[in-house]
Amino acid sequence: MSLDRAFRLTGLVGVAFFFAAAFTPLALALHLWMAVEPQLVPSDAIVVLGASVLHSGILSAESTRRTNHAIELYQQGLAPRLILLGGAPEGGPTEAEIRAKVARLHSIPAEAIVTESMARTTREEAARVADLARPRGIRTVLLVTNTAHMVRARPLFERAGFEVHAAPSDIYFEPITPEARLILIKRLLQEVLGWIYYRIAGYA
Amino acid sequence: MIGIFMLAVAGLTSAAVYLLGVRPLGLVPARLGAALGKMLEMVGAVLIFLVADLLVALVLVVALRGVTGTFVSVYVIDDTVWLGLALLQGLVFQWWREVSARQAGAAALEQRGNLG
Repeated sequence: MSLDRAFRLTGLVGVAFFFAAAFTPLALALHLWMAVEPQLVPSDAIVVLGASVLHSGILSAESTRRTNHAIELYQQGLAPRLILLGGAPEGGPTEAEIRAKVARLHSIPAEAIVTESMARTTREEAARVADLARPRGIRTVLLVTNTAHMVRARPLFERAGFEVHAAPSDIYFEPITPEARLILIKRLLQEVLGWIYYRIAGYA
Repeated sequence: MIGIFMLAVAGLTSAAVYLLGVRPLGLVPARLGAALGKMLEMVGAVLIFLVADLLVALVLVVALRGVTGTFVSVYVIDDTVWLGLALLQGLVFQWWREVSARQAGAAALEQRGNLG
């Protein structure tokens, strides 16, 4: 096959994928296909996985969504503890500290909150939470993260010895603009690649 | 709804440019297919550069982690700027091929003229 032909075929696939991703419900269909049914049952703790925080100390939209969802679960009485994760890769206050502050503002007692800010990857988060949870007798957890990330995160926490109940933070998320659909597709692809990498590396 | 609006606007400007191209600029309508083919080649080149860039970045991140023990986030590959860089690489590469082919064609014509 000539270089021109190879480029043309790749281009055709790329353009077709772009139109399908931006202008059809493909992103939502994939999102729903990957979605796990929420299992909102009483557990020993609610674990909120890290997303990102700005240097100025403002939580990203994703981090805020997860934190709010966890606070809601706590207020429903589904678990007595809130384990909040997230570091500060760019310096400044850690994501876990800011989340804890938000939780306290929602009248969650400080003694019910545990923070962890050293983990840098999902795999490290599972290991660090296991270290924190063991002495506290925590065995069952409500795991809070987005749907795509749940696919990769859940097996890691199960492997760390937890009985995991999925509590996805974005189950009602529906992208309505082409840009939002592209962002969702990118996130789904990212997680699929991450899952493949974890499988190859033997982490999950 | 927003998607339909965007497609409609792009359709409208494309139709306007088609009319402008055919009438005042004197472009050949039959060559539009070839132009679409060129566009696909350009997009393909950009995509191949994008995949290559991301693969190399991923391998370097994993190697840096393994060799130096320093933590480098894999999320470094999650940046839209990669697409911009791949766009520039793809455009330059395709234009380089184009001008080289043109130059080779001109040289061949010149040689034929000398022989004749």
